Amino acid sequence: MNKELENSFVTELENNQNIVHKVCRLYTNDQESHNDLFQEIAIQLWKAYPKFRREAKFTTWMYRVALNTAITQYRKTKRKVPTQDYQSVIYKIKADEYDGQEEQRIQLLYKAVKQLGDIDKALIFLYLEDKDYGEIASTLGISEVNARVKMNRIKNKLRTIINP
Amino acid sequence: MEELELLKRDWKKKEGELPRLSYTEIYQMILKKSTSIVKWIFYISIIEFVFWTTLNIITSDSGSWEQMRSIHTYYFMIGLTVLSYVVLVYFIYKFYTNYKRISFTDSSKRLMKTILDTKRTVTQYVWFNLSIFMVSLLGMMYGTLRYGTDGERIQQAALQTGHETLFWIIVCFLCLISTAVFLGLLWLFYRLLYGILLKKLRQNYNELGKMEV
Repeated sequence: MNKELENSFVTELENNQNIVHKVCRLYTNDQESHNDLFQEIAIQLWKAYPKFRREAKFTTWMYRVALNTAITQYRKTKRKVPTQDYQSVIYKIKADEYDGQEEQRIQLLYKAVKQLGDIDKALIFLYLEDKDYGEIASTLGISEVNARVKMNRIKNKLRTIINP
Repeated sequence: MEELELLKRDWKKKEGELPRLSYTEIYQMILKKSTSIVKWIFYISIIEFVFWTTLNIITSDSGSWEQMRSIHTYYFMIGLTVLSYVVLVYFIYKFYTNYKRISFTDSSKRLMKTILDTKRTVTQYVWFNLSIFMVSLLGMMYGTLRYGTDGERIQQAALQTGHETLFWIIVCFLCLISTAVFLGLLWLFYRLLYGILLKKLRQNYNELGKMEV
């Protein structure tokens, strides 16, 4: 019985591991912490798996657990985030304004997204994953209106980071 | 905001660059719960070490060493203390190496071996602490009875009763009983402290065993 449960869990996680990797990519900055976070999320998923009742899709449930784990981990290591990063981004943005090449703009956007707070990152992540506001709201446990308001604020925030 | 659309496009494009883990790699990940348990055993042993050492420093002033000198247990206690510190440091080192080893283990067979090693080290550690405690307690009791001021009174009382042998048998019996009670309490403390962690390790070990079959 237990063996079956393990088997189905690992198979499902293997098939949908991209979601976890993407969360890791957004919340970490190097390969080592990426791997650590992946393992942490895998363990949290496995712990919660017996209680997962299939009322939601496996992936929806995965998004929720993965983001929750990432946010919790992020809060634990919050003090480690260097502040000068922001300054260097601002500087780089000014320099890049002169040649608006697409690739550079994208890099800039990624950096700007990395500057966001943990919850904002989760919202942007779900947005990038093409989730509608209903799904975003239910995944993060907030109301749809709240999700819209927050998303607008994030867009403004990004705008100020990119065009200071 | 067109920038976000740009980002979304790129985000999807980068999907192909994501790392990919195999079934076995993920399997091993969820079975690596032991790592954090062994880490806690290591931390708790250090906390415990610091706790007992501070307790020792706080309670032992020059007076208590003087008293030990007077009951001829001074060198005995010094020797015992040095011995216990050396062995405790060795145990902490062992816990540390176990923790390091388990962090870098990738096969379930090796993981099982490390779990067994850790369990054995914890058992040895607990027995060592209990023995040191017992020996020092018995030593102190013997010293007090033989050379201490209370001991003199007891000796006089023994002469007065007329049943000297019986009296000493009772005294020894009481000493052993009180030692046993103290040991029992300490043993209970260790059961609580490490018992829970060891139980989890055992569960993980069993899970790994199932996987090997």
